[in-house]
Amino acid sequence: MPGTDQAVGGRRTVPAAPRRAVTGPPRKATGSVQGRGPLVAWALLTPAGLVMLAVTVAPIVFLVYASFTDYDQRSLFTGAFDVVGARQYTDLLADAEFWRSLARTVVFTAAMVAGSVAIGAGVAQLLTRLGSALRMTVTVVLILAWAMPTVASSLVWKWLFQPGYGVVNWLLTQAGLFGDMTDTDWSNSAPLAYVSIWLLIVWQAVPFIALTLYAALIQMPSELQEAARLDGAGEWRVWWSVTLPFLRPTLTLITLMSVIWDFNVFNQIWLVSAGGPDSATTTLGVFAYRTAFVAFRVGQGAALSVITTVLLLAITALYVRRLLRSGEDL
Amino acid sequence: MTTTTGIRRGGGGGAGRGRIVSNTLAIVFCLVWLFPVYWMINTAFKPRSEAMTATPRFWPSAPTLHNFDVALNRTGFWTNLTNSLLVVSVTVVISIVLGMFAAAAMTRFRFSGRRTVMVAILVAQMLPGTALLVPTFLVFNEAGLLGTYTGLVLAYLALVLPFSIWVMRGFFLTVPVEVEEAARIDGASTWQVLWRILFPLVLPGVIASSVFAFIAAWNDYLIAYTFMKEQSQYTLPVWLASFTNPAQGTDYSAQMAGSVVFSLPVVAFFLLIQRKLVSGMSAGAVKG
Repeated sequence: MPGTDQAVGGRRTVPAAPRRAVTGPPRKATGSVQGRGPLVAWALLTPAGLVMLAVTVAPIVFLVYASFTDYDQRSLFTGAFDVVGARQYTDLLADAEFWRSLARTVVFTAAMVAGSVAIGAGVAQLLTRLGSALRMTVTVVLILAWAMPTVASSLVWKWLFQPGYGVVNWLLTQAGLFGDMTDTDWSNSAPLAYVSIWLLIVWQAVPFIALTLYAALIQMPSELQEAARLDGAGEWRVWWSVTLPFLRPTLTLITLMSVIWDFNVFNQIWLVSAGGPDSATTTLGVFAYRTAFVAFRVGQGAALSVITTVLLLAITALYVRRLLRSGEDL
Repeated sequence: MTTTTGIRRGGGGGAGRGRIVSNTLAIVFCLVWLFPVYWMINTAFKPRSEAMTATPRFWPSAPTLHNFDVALNRTGFWTNLTNSLLVVSVTVVISIVLGMFAAAAMTRFRFSGRRTVMVAILVAQMLPGTALLVPTFLVFNEAGLLGTYTGLVLAYLALVLPFSIWVMRGFFLTVPVEVEEAARIDGASTWQVLWRILFPLVLPGVIASSVFAFIAAWNDYLIAYTFMKEQSQYTLPVWLASFTNPAQGTDYSAQMAGSVVFSLPVVAFFLLIQRKLVSGMSAGAVKG
């Protein structure tokens, strides 16, 4: 028998002492902790599992249930509500505003993902061509933009684009491209609200994409490119036929993640335009929030959240498969 | 880093010109990307009279801490800061301890259902905010947890725990199993191997994960804004957003000073764990 110390420790984690005796010395010599079997594993998983069950699984089940009820403001006080079948869903599908916000979400997501991935890829490429001092500078700048909490950056954005004293308005007026923009109210015009929110999201999304792609780029064996150049390929051709295929797995994962994140963007829209003017920037997330927490039509808000989740499920499935297959070393 | 052996621009006559183009692009990029941060800081240190001028001042001619004074003395700052620190630290401690156990289970044991657990964690991480917000609100309303710190911690665990497990799993994988095997041969028990050998070795990863968890919870606006009804219960992001006052005009100078104060710990942490950022963030720490 090993010292008492170990025996005590062993008894604490594995239920029975005899087990220890059976799996005695020979087993120990070969096995790591892995040899200890599933019981310990599940014991270690239980606390986190219970918490996730309570704060994630149960709410999702309840969300689906709530989406089949007429839960509203009164229900919050009385606790009384009725099951109404699929009425919330049929109402939504008949609601033009639902389709409009779905279309907005899809188009806006596409624009944000395209913008941030394109710029991010460009910056990653740029980083490989810089000297170390400039590369360090760009990295620090990226991290600063990345680190800004979305609440703070959204408020900074409102100030940058403030009608009257906003510095962007002033710069644009000085540039003279669109005439006098001093008093332009960005959040009061649908296209301009989109432009400023797009800039905000892309500004914050580029650092993660650029640094991740850069990390992938420096793994690339330079012989690949050299060989292509020897064969007479131009820079653009080398990038397209050598670099891009090498980056593809990382790029796919990043794109999938960006789609999910951008589809769910809330804080920035809520704080910059609050979904306005009217409902011009009301994406599905903002629509669900307004329905559930401003109009307090909670049942309908739940139905909207279910629809959003289901729409994203396919992309999430793709993302999970890719991530597990890539060996998670992204 | 092995950057120098990485990609180099092809030699030849174009290299010199290419370098100038790259450097120019990099400088332009830095100027554009830094501008919002610079403008926040610039505004924070300007007297209010200099913030609101027809021609913007690009440097405070009389730098002042007045705006910080105004912001920090604004109703609720100290209470809301305390709330933030309390709720966030409890969330971080719980999610790190539970996350360590779960990550150990997932990386050091083979068991059926392991893959399912991994998929569940990744899916939980990617759920839309309102999908959890709506039902949690209803359940908390029923259970009397709305407007309580316990409720906020529970809601934050849903936000932070899957991610913490995933990030720590990544760090656990970097510790070779051989180290534990050696300890096992010396007769250490499972618990001792975990506690004395594995956990100390993954400590740097644990610290990085705590930082990620801290940032995710510290930055939350939506949950606190929806669940907490009294000014005295708010957390700092809600406090910061409450500066916005369309009716009387927002005090942008004070708001920018508040933004600096609020962002400072996050920026400091980001710079601190720079090296682990990319690997950690790939699981989606800071969501948009």
